Amino acid sequence: MSRRRKQLPRFGRGLSAASLVAMAATLASAADAPTGGEPGVRAFVLSNIYMASSGDAGACPVLADGGIEEYFKSLPPEEQAKYSVAGKLGELEQGKRPALEQDMDRHFGFRRISPRNKSVVSGQAKLPPDFDPTAKPTAEMALRIGALNGFPKNRGRWAFSNQVIAYSACTDPLDFPQLGKHFRTYDGKVAPGIDLDGKTKRGDFSGLDGAKGVDNQLWRVMGCVRAFRENGDKEVVEKIFISARAPTLIEIRGIDDPRNDPEVTVNIYAASGSLVRNARGGALAGMTFDIDKDPALRATTRGRIVDGVLTTDPVDIRLNYKEQIIDAPRQILGARIRATLKPDGGIDGAFFGYYSLASYWDSIEQMTQNGANLTSVSCPGVYRALHRFADGYKDPRTGRYTAISSAYGFTGVRAFVANAPAEFASRRGQ
Amino acid sequence: MKMRRKTAALLLATLSLLSLGAATGMTPNGVHAGAVAPASGPAPVRRLTEAQYRRAIADIFGEDIKVVGRFEPDLRVDGLLAVGTSAISVSPAGLEQYDDIGRGVAEQATDAGHWDKLVGCPRDAHGAEALSCARRFFSQTGLKLFRRPLPAAEAERLARSAVAIGDQLKAFPQGVATTLAGMLASPQFLFRLELPEASGRLGGYTKASRLSFLLWNSAPDDALLEAAAAGSLDTPAGLRAQVERLMASPRLRDGVRAFFTDFLQLDEFETLSKDGLIYPAFSASIASLAREQTLRTLTDLLIDRNGDYRDIFTTRRIAMTRTLGPIYDVPVARDGWYIHEFPQGDPRVGLLTHAGLLALHSHPGRTSPTLRGKAMREILLCEKIPSPPANVNFAVVQDVNNASLKTTRQRLQAHLDDEECASCHKKTDPIGLGLEQFDGAGQFRTRERGELIDVSGSFDKKAFDGAGDLGQLFHDSAAASACLVNSVWRYANGRNPSAGDEDDIRALSAQFSGQGYRLTSLLRTIALDPAFYGTSTDVRIARTHEGKKEG
Repeated sequence: MSRRRKQLPRFGRGLSAASLVAMAATLASAADAPTGGEPGVRAFVLSNIYMASSGDAGACPVLADGGIEEYFKSLPPEEQAKYSVAGKLGELEQGKRPALEQDMDRHFGFRRISPRNKSVVSGQAKLPPDFDPTAKPTAEMALRIGALNGFPKNRGRWAFSNQVIAYSACTDPLDFPQLGKHFRTYDGKVAPGIDLDGKTKRGDFSGLDGAKGVDNQLWRVMGCVRAFRENGDKEVVEKIFISARAPTLIEIRGIDDPRNDPEVTVNIYAASGSLVRNARGGALAGMTFDIDKDPALRATTRGRIVDGVLTTDPVDIRLNYKEQIIDAPRQILGARIRATLKPDGGIDGAFFGYYSLASYWDSIEQMTQNGANLTSVSCPGVYRALHRFADGYKDPRTGRYTAISSAYGFTGVRAFVANAPAEFASRRGQ
Repeated sequence: MKMRRKTAALLLATLSLLSLGAATGMTPNGVHAGAVAPASGPAPVRRLTEAQYRRAIADIFGEDIKVVGRFEPDLRVDGLLAVGTSAISVSPAGLEQYDDIGRGVAEQATDAGHWDKLVGCPRDAHGAEALSCARRFFSQTGLKLFRRPLPAAEAERLARSAVAIGDQLKAFPQGVATTLAGMLASPQFLFRLELPEASGRLGGYTKASRLSFLLWNSAPDDALLEAAAAGSLDTPAGLRAQVERLMASPRLRDGVRAFFTDFLQLDEFETLSKDGLIYPAFSASIASLAREQTLRTLTDLLIDRNGDYRDIFTTRRIAMTRTLGPIYDVPVARDGWYIHEFPQGDPRVGLLTHAGLLALHSHPGRTSPTLRGKAMREILLCEKIPSPPANVNFAVVQDVNNASLKTTRQRLQAHLDDEECASCHKKTDPIGLGLEQFDGAGQFRTRERGELIDVSGSFDKKAFDGAGDLGQLFHDSAAASACLVNSVWRYANGRNPSAGDEDDIRALSAQFSGQGYRLTSLLRTIALDPAFYGTSTDVRIARTHEGKKEG
């Protein structure tokens, strides 16, 4: 396909040839972007990036227990009765969860210190004389503060957006294997995703469209955890913004034909601003976003559009993930995009690739024990399954996999990207 | 509260000191300005608009003084609020609102944070010191508020009132505040009283006010008041010096903005809202920014670039800010306001394609070629379009889900089959339909319910195809330029022209054209014209004199 033939601007369909010629002449001059933005470029702001769901509820007749449910079940009957619905021993009364959680904290010796305001949940914090609450938190300082405050040896990690130093089943899951005893993994045959490794092997899934060899072991790990199943529900996806605080941008450049183009450039950026809501409560389309200054949060790859569906070559990406107490960028290695370009200018699709175990675990760990209890997640259960089913990017030194195949859906609306570095802005997909 | 009731009673006493009724026919309880002028003929009494009130307070007491309260609505007469200012008075409820607002201003102006700067003497002054201080304060402030010097006896009465109230309340600042609040509710502040002097001509202070309100939309500044006091506004050279000073000031922007706010009826933006389900990108903040966008675009062209007025219909330059980007569907890489330039061939060109105006003259959930056409005719061409009859049937036009009549053009055509409706609609709809590529929120589109939108039509027997062509026809329309001149004249004079004014306006139009359709030239011409400072008697005398010379 000729690279000279440019796409008609969206509004161009109603314009005369003469005016288009005139416009083309002006585009080469000092005028700003026309209505519809720069020709040949489409960009999107993603309002939600979510773990794509298989929708196969039957494969999880019983959902995985969270850590607090594990603890509850482990209690002797007379203790369990204190937290049970009256007359229904073994059925946890929701109103008694806080008391149960306190009991669990005491039992396991969970600790949580907030050194930045010198208060602690469990006792008065002791801080090293050289502790500077305004300094960048370090793992070394967390261990020192942990040691001063009676944490087990070499325990204590920053959590809760670096506001607390904690010791729990989420910071140190291997210390509490009993809280992952009844963790359930997904045993269904179907999962969202694509064949990442080009092989159909034991443990692979069938795709939602029937494709074979689908690699999505992260769904095997999390597919029976209630909160993660619900987050992938279509209705939830459309109504809830995830990462609204730090959304991701996808920009396609060098489009000659928005329905079919064998070669385009696809840039993936972190936006520096927040998502803006429209009057309906959805994401406002057509906003301009600056990109984040961190070069690690940018990537570029080649792609193609076939019948309005974009697919890309693999690329390592790092997506901002800032939500409530979590700030744990997603590192997805060898990520490919497959997405439908919608007639209204929006986009629906997914990132398929290998989620690095370190960055995935960071997001789980940052939930803290409180968050895990609230959402019925078992950190030890997730940790163990994550490492068991990891299937990508083997470390030649240890022989262990460092990443896990995954499928993250996304939905987005039309947007504009501003102030991208010249090397991104000038790429034309050639 | 006790204090407030007490000061209210004292305020009434103060109001009676201000000889309210003498000038305007307003009764001491401030109910009625019986001497207001009709909408045509001379306009000796004009009520300050809300914008003028706010600007005057900021100028006199400082930008940090908050003006809080609801103002009595202004009245638009024949398209202009400025003409309405000479046709309205103050209702009892309105006076109460002015009173509340004035109290708020007075309390701030006399609080500890402002006292030293605005009043100057010790807050605990009493006796002769307090009287001297109050005399000086009311004399200086009265000059600015009433736009004329206070006679010594009037300043003395106010000063004594303030001291007496201060003694009674055991707080001198309270006395000053109460008396000042009375001044702020006085017709001498709220109305521009342009009464002739004993000679039958307007005095220097009245001239200063006319000039200042025309060019800055505010009360005269110190330099202008000094020029009035020195009588220099009565000499051509002195007047020219002041006109040039005011026109060279950045505050000319305020005056031009005020004119276009009135002329284009941008005050209507305050109540503009859209159905969020149909136009999710539109919001109250968009409406507010869209108004600002139009004003900034106009001042960019007409002041900063001293451009041709007619170019407002064809310019590709438009003030833009990031929040408006989604409505215009353009990337906005900069923070704050800047001038965005659409390329040649872009559907956005000129004032007719400003999203705010398109949204303003639409329904909450759909476009209205009729409302848009009516606005273009009435506002930009100074034509009058009759209101629809009460029994008109809008069923077809409003049926946006009509299966066979998918586009607004098709539905309006069905409406036009009614002969009675057609007589007016043929004036409004053809030009309104030329803007149909912009939806009810002013967003560009090429299709309506899947159908390509036809934006062809004719204006003044000339064919057009779309907003760009239509803007060019407005640019070339003598009626559009004449309408601007007529509107500026009426805005300046606060009234409709009488029969004797028409020659002046025609001459003004010719001059406007000869000077390249520059708004600044038009304003300068009006500001330097002796007729602008004349009472009707003045103008008659001048014309007789000129007639004799010519004869």
